[in-house]
Amino acid sequence: MSPKHGARLPLAFIPPGTEVRLAGFGDEIDALQREQLTAYGLAESRPLKVLQQRPMTVILADEVELALEHAVARHIWVEREPGAE
Amino acid sequence: MTPASNAILLVGHPNVGKSVLFHRLTGAYVNVSNYPGTTVEVTRASARFDREAVLLDTPGVLALPSRSDDERATVRALLEEDTRCLVQVGDAKNLRRTLTLTALLADLGVPLVLALNMHDEAAARGVTVDIPALAEELGIPVLATVATGGNGVAELAGCLPDARVPQAMLHYDSEFEADIAITAAAITRLAPHPYLAARGLAILFLGGDPEVAAWLAARAGERFAELETLRQQAAERAEGDLPTLLARERTEAADALSASVIQRALRSSPLLSQRIGQYVVHPLWGIPILLGVLYLVYQFVGVFGATVLVGLLEKDLFEGILNPAFTDFVTAAVNVPWITEVLVGQYGLWTMGMTYALALILPIVTTFFFAFGILEDSGYLPRLTVIANRLFALIGLNGRAVLPMVLGLGCVTMATLTTRILHSPRERMITIFLLALAIPCSAQLGVVLGMLGGVSFTAVLIWTLAMVLVLLLSGFLAARLIPGRRIPLVTELPPMRLPIVGNVLKKTGGRLKWYLVEVIPLFLLGTFIMFVLDKSGALPAIIEAGEPLVSGWLGLPREASAAFVMGFLRRDFGATGLFAMAHTLSPVQAVVGMITITLFIPCFASLMMMVKEQGVKVALGMVAVIVPFAFLIGGLFNIALRALWMPA
Repeated sequence: MSPKHGARLPLAFIPPGTEVRLAGFGDEIDALQREQLTAYGLAESRPLKVLQQRPMTVILADEVELALEHAVARHIWVEREPGAE
Repeated sequence: MTPASNAILLVGHPNVGKSVLFHRLTGAYVNVSNYPGTTVEVTRASARFDREAVLLDTPGVLALPSRSDDERATVRALLEEDTRCLVQVGDAKNLRRTLTLTALLADLGVPLVLALNMHDEAAARGVTVDIPALAEELGIPVLATVATGGNGVAELAGCLPDARVPQAMLHYDSEFEADIAITAAAITRLAPHPYLAARGLAILFLGGDPEVAAWLAARAGERFAELETLRQQAAERAEGDLPTLLARERTEAADALSASVIQRALRSSPLLSQRIGQYVVHPLWGIPILLGVLYLVYQFVGVFGATVLVGLLEKDLFEGILNPAFTDFVTAAVNVPWITEVLVGQYGLWTMGMTYALALILPIVTTFFFAFGILEDSGYLPRLTVIANRLFALIGLNGRAVLPMVLGLGCVTMATLTTRILHSPRERMITIFLLALAIPCSAQLGVVLGMLGGVSFTAVLIWTLAMVLVLLLSGFLAARLIPGRRIPLVTELPPMRLPIVGNVLKKTGGRLKWYLVEVIPLFLLGTFIMFVLDKSGALPAIIEAGEPLVSGWLGLPREASAAFVMGFLRRDFGATGLFAMAHTLSPVQAVVGMITITLFIPCFASLMMMVKEQGVKVALGMVAVIVPFAFLIGGLFNIALRALWMPA
């Protein structure tokens, strides 16, 4: 899935503390990893909160904290929540 | 192993408390930790509440159809056991994910009970689940449990007879439903399962589950090709990756059901445990916290365990009271001199074997296992994966490999088994090699800390730097020599929890029992072999033959050869041999000796585990690299330390 410019940003670029919605996975994420991410609860239009970006991207999704390497977070596309900073 | 009749299978995601619940329901001990992947094999034990029932603790599944080794082990258990019912253990604060798995289990047609565990953590986060409503929607018993505290466990045992086949949670897209129906009909015709529903097997098979495919292939024989054709046709018809599309529909169904039964209270600020969890992986604070944790472990194990407790036990109790008394008793009671020597001589079963095992090793492993248990149950260890990820990237691994490595500091044999949590054969091979080479087990670590701690903190630091250097260097080379690509890290960080001391003590007790059962016979055998080698004249010959290497190259006293002979049986046995002659060693000799024996051949039990996991050829290949490498590095440090640190 390709990003739609303007509305979607890579998860790795989102500042800590921001709440976003998952928009889709990039083609760089293979089928197996996509299944894994889906199993962790990352699915389209699900809300998530970015907790930190260094040394890895750490997010809170459904009360579960997930740590993702930037190589993965760079290819997860998110949209800012309406009304979020 | 023959399938158990009346089997009750505990299934669920990783780190939801299956093993704690298993312990509560059976009394049997399983190695339990607050990080995913603790259980890598199916464990079974009789149920406390029904002696005819057998409970099986299965490895956590991130998702089904199976992909990883532990998921495959769980699917094998589902296929092969004569199952009475399933107990799905789920995380109450993440109902959506729990129900995604329930959606699949429901189609297997097996009676199910859902235990929503960690209910206390859900409540602390303001998550409330309407349990009666959920039970009604699913048509099965649903219970709230807190396995660590035992809450709801008796009720869970009591409602197992009421387990029911759940109501279907979803109907897939009509085209998928058509494919599922055709495949299920073919399975019923070609390879019917005694109790699993053909529909559930069809969903797993279409989702690409290798275990279900293998099971069907074995039952259907040549006609399996028909099923394979159906799967290919379904994959071609799907607009996208079929397993992903099926998983997405299950997720949507789980999402809808969880939204209807869950309530979330608004919280203005994160919980204290969440704040601590974030500081622990903070780019600035993470490293000082790690150093602080390591310092505390060193103080507890290296100073309190290996110095204070060993001093009390070895010097005061064994050397001061027990050994003289036992020697007097044996000398007076036994008139045969060689038997006296076997029992209480220089290589006596009591004076060496039991003294090493009980006075030197026991206090060290006890303090280590206790400290390790605290770290495990606190949720700190998975956060280490985040801190260590960049370092492990240098050696072609990701931070997940830190878990077997840290577990290896407890027991390398156990850690070798847990490399199954790693996602690729390449990662497993590199990690097993590094475990065998440069990770000392708790007994050895304690001996090292005890011995070098007695020399100076600099000595401990040099040994630590040597190990890290060897680990990085050999990992760097292995990553370039072993083909394959590195897999980026994606991992769950379980909540930070205040460890329950009772649980940590139980776990420490269980591990000590396991350890002593393994270690005492081997120490006694090792001592007896040393006695025979000594009496037959072989040991002096070995010491003489090893002199150019041990005294010339490593710069150690010639008697240290005996420690290396002992090290062939167990590295910690060898290290203890060096520890016993600590007073005769200079600081450089102590450091060089410990570096060499740490890198030396892994213990016999780990070697057997390496053979089990990697095959004879790979395991022997690793040993053939490790032994000369240990002496090479030891010798180089001997030269460098004499030149740079202090002359011997």
